[in-house]
Amino acid sequence: MKTLLLSGLALAMLTVGASAQTVRLGTEGAYEPWNFMDANGQVAGLDIDVGNELCQRAGLTCEWVINDWDTIIPNLLAGNYDAILAGMSITEERQQSIDFTADYSPPDVSRYMVLTGTTIDFDSLQNVRIGVQSNTIQAGYAGDNLAQGNTIVSFEQAPQALADLSAGSIDVILADESYVTEIVANSSGGFELVGPEVEVGGGVGAGLRKSDTELKAKLDEALAAAKADGTIDSLIAKWFPQREGPFYLN
Amino acid sequence: MVDLLPAWLADGLGDEALFWFGYLTDGRHLAWYSSVQFTLIAALLGGLCALGFGLLGAGMVGSRALPVRLFGKAYVNMVRGVPDVLFFLFFPLAFEQGVEWMASSVICSPEDIAANPGRWPPCPAANWILGTWEYLLLASVSLGIVYGAFTANVIHGALNAVPRGQIEAARAYGFSASQVFWRIRVRQMWIYALPGLSNVWLLLIKATALLSLLQIVDIVSWAGRLGAPNFTPSAGLVHPDWRWYYYLVLLLFYVLLTFLSEKGFAALTRWAGRGMAVAEARA
Repeated sequence: MKTLLLSGLALAMLTVGASAQTVRLGTEGAYEPWNFMDANGQVAGLDIDVGNELCQRAGLTCEWVINDWDTIIPNLLAGNYDAILAGMSITEERQQSIDFTADYSPPDVSRYMVLTGTTIDFDSLQNVRIGVQSNTIQAGYAGDNLAQGNTIVSFEQAPQALADLSAGSIDVILADESYVTEIVANSSGGFELVGPEVEVGGGVGAGLRKSDTELKAKLDEALAAAKADGTIDSLIAKWFPQREGPFYLN
Repeated sequence: MVDLLPAWLADGLGDEALFWFGYLTDGRHLAWYSSVQFTLIAALLGGLCALGFGLLGAGMVGSRALPVRLFGKAYVNMVRGVPDVLFFLFFPLAFEQGVEWMASSVICSPEDIAANPGRWPPCPAANWILGTWEYLLLASVSLGIVYGAFTANVIHGALNAVPRGQIEAARAYGFSASQVFWRIRVRQMWIYALPGLSNVWLLLIKATALLSLLQIVDIVSWAGRLGAPNFTPSAGLVHPDWRWYYYLVLLLFYVLLTFLSEKGFAALTRWAGRGMAVAEARA
């Protein structure tokens, strides 16, 4: 046991030494087109393009770490990686535990998506099974405002909610408009958006530990430059053809 | 991958077959296939650890010294009763924190600790970042500890199944205590232990499906990701929920693994039965 501990310690030192130079970026890899595994088995998406752009501008060597959405903030705090770029909205609740850079995607409303033809009475929302991804702004909103008389079903990953909506296990999904709009546009009429727009959360930013003020300053500076010359806008346009920009270029 | 096919084969297959061949050999699928290594490594390394802990545990349970015996019994009975999922989550975390605690007592200066009140680890330099391979190692040890407890029970029983007359005969021939243990009891116990060990091995193989709990992107995790419905063309082929197919492939994979294991254990049983009275009586 002692040798085991010592070898673990040696391993730890090695990892500690290696991590000093590279900035580790955490993402989920299951929320297309924000972040996902592409056909080459590599992470891709808007979060990844923005992260790489910022690292390049700030002169940082970065590497990507895949982490489940559920534990993405705890594992940032535990130091498994140094920043979260995972389509994460800046909210007051999250700001109590972590810091954010400025937003690299503007505030986005949330929308209800159903199988085409489903009618839901949004004036008195009752007896509806509402699917959300756990630990998202929509999960928070649904828990606070829709739980009375309805069933809130939480999913660890967004595509699981999609599968259950297709199978009829839930009636409606509440999610970011940017996310569901791409799905509706490519479902050949299978899904549609219904009901009101729900306003929750701020823009999407990179999450950082509160103690990492130096990294925050570097990333914010790089982000401001990338916004000013239109790079961020073109990246948003590349991944979200349905969204109308430009958002940051005057 | 499609480019690697010889022209005559590509022509013969037709467009549809080529499309599916391309889909099933894209980078994501190749990553899925290669993630089998995590499952196999965890199974083999976990199996080795389990055998080690099992021999150790059986030795302790059979020990004449009371404290050792009590410790052995506590290990075998307590760990067998704890759900493996729970142990799988508990041990790597506890071990990580233990290492960080030891590292922090060496690395961290009092000023560092004062600058980070209420944080774990006490100073950032003592932080141990666990990657896939570190987690895999810890997962294997966890599997070893859990299934070592079952193995210890099996081996303890098998050691006692060796006929007492043989042990007495060995003593009468002047074998020392350790010679009796290794050459008579351990040499002959395998034939009694193997049926039980093959059970433990199959349970251990099944438990490798838990690897994704430790942030290891293993075959189960990949199957879920690949099968999940996709409606974003930029993220690959647009398809509905296909997890059913992918989990079926996993099912077949584990059936194949079981089949191969049974073959392996049959060969081991033949090996362990050489010259044994039990085997002759069976044959």
